[in-house]
Amino acid sequence: MNKTIIININGIVFHIEEDAYDILKLYMTDVKRHFSTSADSLEITTDIENRIAEMFNEILANQNKQVIVETDVKLVIEQMGTVEDFEFAENDDRAAGNSTYTYNTERRRLFRDPDDHLVSGVAAGIANYFDIPAVWIRLAFAISFAFAGSGFILYVILWIVIPKAISRADRMAMKGEKQDLKGFKKNFEEEMGMVKENLSNFRQEARPFVYKARDFTGDFFSHLGTFLKGAGGLFVKLLCIVILLTCFSAAIALIVVLIAFLAFGKTDIFHIFPFNIVNYDTNLIFLTGGFLLLAIPLITIILLTIGFLFKNATFNRSIGTTLLCIWLASLGAVVYYGARATANFRYGARLSKTINIKPTTNNTYYLQLNDAKYLTNEDSTRLRIKERFNGMIILDDDFNGNDMDSPDNVHIDVEKSDVAQPVLIESFSARGRNDEDALTNARNVTYRFLQKDSVLKFDRNLERLDNTKWRGQELHMTLKVPLNAKLVIDGKLDRNMNFNLYDCLQNNTPRNPAGSVFVMTMTDGLQCKIDTVAAALKPDSSKTKQPADTTQNKDQ
Amino acid sequence: MIVENTQTQMRKGILEYCILSIIAKGETYASDIIAELKKAQLLVVEGTLYPLLTRLKNNGLLTYNWVESVSGPPRKYYVLSEEGKLVLEQLDKTWQELVYAVQTAIGDRK
Repeated sequence: MNKTIIININGIVFHIEEDAYDILKLYMTDVKRHFSTSADSLEITTDIENRIAEMFNEILANQNKQVIVETDVKLVIEQMGTVEDFEFAENDDRAAGNSTYTYNTERRRLFRDPDDHLVSGVAAGIANYFDIPAVWIRLAFAISFAFAGSGFILYVILWIVIPKAISRADRMAMKGEKQDLKGFKKNFEEEMGMVKENLSNFRQEARPFVYKARDFTGDFFSHLGTFLKGAGGLFVKLLCIVILLTCFSAAIALIVVLIAFLAFGKTDIFHIFPFNIVNYDTNLIFLTGGFLLLAIPLITIILLTIGFLFKNATFNRSIGTTLLCIWLASLGAVVYYGARATANFRYGARLSKTINIKPTTNNTYYLQLNDAKYLTNEDSTRLRIKERFNGMIILDDDFNGNDMDSPDNVHIDVEKSDVAQPVLIESFSARGRNDEDALTNARNVTYRFLQKDSVLKFDRNLERLDNTKWRGQELHMTLKVPLNAKLVIDGKLDRNMNFNLYDCLQNNTPRNPAGSVFVMTMTDGLQCKIDTVAAALKPDSSKTKQPADTTQNKDQ
Repeated sequence: MIVENTQTQMRKGILEYCILSIIAKGETYASDIIAELKKAQLLVVEGTLYPLLTRLKNNGLLTYNWVESVSGPPRKYYVLSEEGKLVLEQLDKTWQELVYAVQTAIGDRK
């Protein structure tokens, strides 16, 4: 007793046994696929279907029966011919190049694999399509889940888009097997083989762990190889291109930086921190060494990637050795000169100098920035100051590049003096390769402090004397003023003062054009002085201020 | 392989000529054509005939009429079109030339 199915071939109804139906369906799928690239695909397949229906009718009438069985289907297929027969007959058409029947039965189709699935069989299906182990696709998906779940979205889309392999024909198309009776047989044999394999797998499970670990390592690398050859190949190539682009842009940036440094030349760049630490020649070594240190790995990566990408050996042993030698040499140079430069900072020294300030009658001092540019004798000669700028003052503003000479090196602090005489204590510090050197470095600087009646003028920066390298020279000044002394500090000194001038300036409306006003108090040190008259005139502005803001604490 | 190829080429070359000749005798059904071709050992399976017929029809050499059948779906009965008849005449001529050429070529061998 067999189950029968009712089928309809172009309007004619047949009863057919299930096994026979499977074969017929497989055959028709195959035929349709074979002619699918032809323009007359529908007409040809309809002709064939009609003929099959007619042959079935003849068989049923001749044998006086009602149901089509497997042998009938096989007979009809034999008469009609398999796809292989069609291909054979069309052989020379293809050779002549005028054939449209280019369908290759070995071409794989993308299906979800219902036989080998964890979730929906997407990964297994993709693996089948590329003929690689499914585990790599699963791994790739698992990793891509980590990137903001992008892999998850992709998976769901693929789940929806890719059809599930339902029929045997689908499954064979999925695995790229020929879809005729032979392929069918092969499929069956493979299934039997899988059962056997599972049995032997079971035996393997029972093997000791050491063997399993060894097998796993072997499997891992063989699978990795397959992965790199298959779908991984595309991924790796994309990765290679990304690496190449990155390296090229990095190399271009590096070259631009080097050219920029060299083009600035001897005079312009090497007094800028940190190039002012060492002399010109050493700087060149540093620049070249640093450039090679970065460029050689880039070149290596680029060459290796190109070699891998285009499968040619641009990177041979001799190039590799040369590059490595140059790299090591530049590393050595940078380390050696770096260590030598560092040795110049080993010892510190500090010297102190006290300057008396003439007291003023109203106990008010104006602290201002001396914005006349400091010129060395050499500069004066070079610029011919006496001839060209006689009677003029060259101003030192924020934008002439001097600020980059060194890190902020002048700091001003204000303290209360116990005596009526205000003083300025200048404390110079510097570093050197020994005590003596450090002391010399601390001394080989100039700083101008000028007093003109009640105006105290400070330079913005500490100037090193000629031929003195940057050795962390700094100047800490402490201005000691008596009780109730009033200090009006110019906003331009903001960078040098150790406390905030701006907040104090804000608290007084209208602002004092001369700067922030401070008063030396008995207990709290220097305090911002609020102009009570101005505050009373603008009550709403004082009301909006928090009480804490109205008196500015000195930043210690 | 080379022998097989040559045989296939030879058969392919005359297949369309034979099909047109068979149809020229009158309205013909596909399986009748098959039967004759099988008898002539030119064609083994039916499936290969349908693409050929469709191509000849699309080239305007054939037309067909639907005829109701007692044992299944309606059948396509093929006839030669006017153009098909002209082509067949030309092919007849070519065939005679070929026969003469081949006989001349192999004649001395026997």
